[in-house]
Amino acid sequence: MDVMSAAPVVEQLSREMGISTATALFDRIPPHPVEPVLSPLFRRGGLPRGELVTVTGELSLSCALATIAAATREQKWSAGIGLGEPAVSSIADLGVDLDHFVNLATPGEDWLRVASILIESFDIVLVDPGFLPSPSERARLLAKVRERRMSLISLRPLTGSTEQIEITHTRWSGAERGRGRLQSCLVRARSQTGSHRFLLPGPTGTPAAVPAGTSDATTTLAAPGSTAAPAATSEPASAADSADPRWTTITHLRQVIGSVR
Amino acid sequence: MSGERILVLTVPDWPAVAAAAEHGIGPGRPVAVLHGGRVIAANAPARAAGVAVGDNKRAVGFRCPEAQVVVWDEDADNRHFCAGVGALEDLVARFTLLSPGRLAIPLDSLRHGYRDESSAVEALVSALVTETGWEFFPGIADTVFAAVLASGQARRVEPGRTVDFLADQPITTLEYAGAEATELIDVFLQLGLRTLGDLARLEARDVNSRFGAVGRHVHALASGVAGRPLADHVRAESLEVELDLDTPTTRSDTLGFLARQLGAELLTKVRRQGLVCTQITIELDAAAGQCSSRTWRIEDMQENAIADRLRWQAEGWLAGAAVAAHAGAGPKPGPRRGGEDPHLLDLVDEPAPDVEDFSADGIIALRLIAAELTTPIGATRSLFEENTGQITHTLERLQGLFGPDSVLVPGLQGGWDPAETNLWTPWQQTAVPERSPAAPWPGALHAPRPTTVEHSAVDVFAADGSPVEARPSGLGAAPATIRFPTGETEAITDYSGSWPIESRWWDPDRVVYRTRLQVVTDSGRALLLSRERGQWYLTGRYR
Repeated sequence: MDVMSAAPVVEQLSREMGISTATALFDRIPPHPVEPVLSPLFRRGGLPRGELVTVTGELSLSCALATIAAATREQKWSAGIGLGEPAVSSIADLGVDLDHFVNLATPGEDWLRVASILIESFDIVLVDPGFLPSPSERARLLAKVRERRMSLISLRPLTGSTEQIEITHTRWSGAERGRGRLQSCLVRARSQTGSHRFLLPGPTGTPAAVPAGTSDATTTLAAPGSTAAPAATSEPASAADSADPRWTTITHLRQVIGSVR
Repeated sequence: MSGERILVLTVPDWPAVAAAAEHGIGPGRPVAVLHGGRVIAANAPARAAGVAVGDNKRAVGFRCPEAQVVVWDEDADNRHFCAGVGALEDLVARFTLLSPGRLAIPLDSLRHGYRDESSAVEALVSALVTETGWEFFPGIADTVFAAVLASGQARRVEPGRTVDFLADQPITTLEYAGAEATELIDVFLQLGLRTLGDLARLEARDVNSRFGAVGRHVHALASGVAGRPLADHVRAESLEVELDLDTPTTRSDTLGFLARQLGAELLTKVRRQGLVCTQITIELDAAAGQCSSRTWRIEDMQENAIADRLRWQAEGWLAGAAVAAHAGAGPKPGPRRGGEDPHLLDLVDEPAPDVEDFSADGIIALRLIAAELTTPIGATRSLFEENTGQITHTLERLQGLFGPDSVLVPGLQGGWDPAETNLWTPWQQTAVPERSPAAPWPGALHAPRPTTVEHSAVDVFAADGSPVEARPSGLGAAPATIRFPTGETEAITDYSGSWPIESRWWDPDRVVYRTRLQVVTDSGRALLLSRERGQWYLTGRYR
């Protein structure tokens, strides 16, 4: 195969995010690990690095904290911006290592500045933005995130995110109209990989799989074929890795480089 | 063989040395110390004349008529030894006093820079002898007990040879292990155990079943098992520096400049002790008499870092005082924190500065105290921690930009509600829990707990529009709607049972009656409410 034929592909790839050298194609940056229950939410099974992820909807803070928990236990430093006063007990319940979490009580209008300072050395930054950045500010922020290969999680929709997790439905159980206490919450989340059901928080405070036999009667979103499996139930993913146009390009380029060698 | 090497220094015949010093008896004159009618110590000239430990007074007078016979004085023993300890404080970083006349030093605390153990010990002993005038017998081994025995023979046990060394020692050496162990010596002799090795060869289980805890302890000593680590001697000298200003100042650049000098002075003092300071307490005195004290943990302790902390502390304090002065003597600004007993509230907050305005007078004195000291090795960061240096740098930069209280690290303390268990401490300051998390907190909230803490008064209405009351027996009516301070209302779709907390009923001033309730609104939000003194508060949000 002629080397020149790779040129348009290379040009196309150079515009893609996170791929600056040919080795980046082969040695992909492994994502940060997440709890097994949450890993089906992500395309690569973990929290992507060098990218922006949005977690929105009711219980988005719990979901974001549960997402970073496994990484903090592996000595990855994480910080929260604009979260108000989080309850330490629930942060610990969700599995976050308290020794690697820092909360920033900075004014909401300074979030962009604080985030750009934190990006320099933190592995994960969790932000509830006080305002939406302008397109140029956003581009600079994302460039920094890419360069540092850290994970930025926003609790509000931001353009430029590569994965969007939206909690569409929550159902608390256990209160029983005055006879019990809140036990767990069944959430339904939509992400790039499809629609998922899991308990957040589960009975112990950590995210848990939906126990077998739990009906989703109150929601009309339930797909007719959805069955309660031990792991988080995921409906057929619409955007699996193979279907992503980026991956076809990357596969193509791998073949090109392989033939040159 | 890994593990700590222990150096034990023994002054031979310490009671005789102390008695000579106490009674002003010159060196070279024989001295014997009596306790209970028997000689317990005699110095070298007396021993040369034939005086032995265990003789009675008459035998001493017979063998060495010129000997001074002194009754043992425990106070004098300790008192005179303390003088020597003072000299040691300047020479070694860590040591432990075992008994008067005997002390233990972990060998790794001796200053580095010596070729090997023996030369380090030699240098230390000769410095000590010059300083005190006493004779020291050194003994080095892997356990304290073995080192004590070794110091009696002034010998060094090779690393890893401690068990062999102990095996050859006669069983009577157990007298060094204390009075309880001494009582067992006769029994062991009758059992045919002549050496510590004989004892160590017995099964630990058998010794334990026959002689109990003392037997187990003695067996461990004889087998060369290291006991619990020794508690370090607490230094008499506290490391602190103080500076009184001629004129009070509120200028942070002036304070920063002074703090840098003062910090350098303190760090020089600390370094001279062969130590490293990891935490520092900064105290500021205002002209009006108030004092601000904060303890900071600084990873890379340097005078510039100290100056920064002092500047932040002073700025925050003076600014806070100015705000309080403007607010006047009225109630505290900001909404009252819901769901908390006002007395509890005072405990949670830092001691509030006085309302009177002293920012015009400024700060009159600075004091720096080394709050935590360790050996240089103890202060080294773990290799497993990734890029803590960069993290520290980033967070310090943010503290410089937004104030020290803007960067908070989480901690937990005791309490019933998340608002009370929260312990957010500024980065690099020492967390000071107000309430013990280990104490029982009956009625404390279980998981799942709310993720954010709120403090706002809300109204809860029943279906007929009347406010919902809470009684110990339960709610007055089923809650139907909730109204937030913003005026927005939401329908309640589900609610938990209410559960009360009653605490400190024995103290009418601090008694807490609180009822808690979890509700789920029609938008799917779950909230934690609590009712206190006839008012519902929103205390937590499941976000």
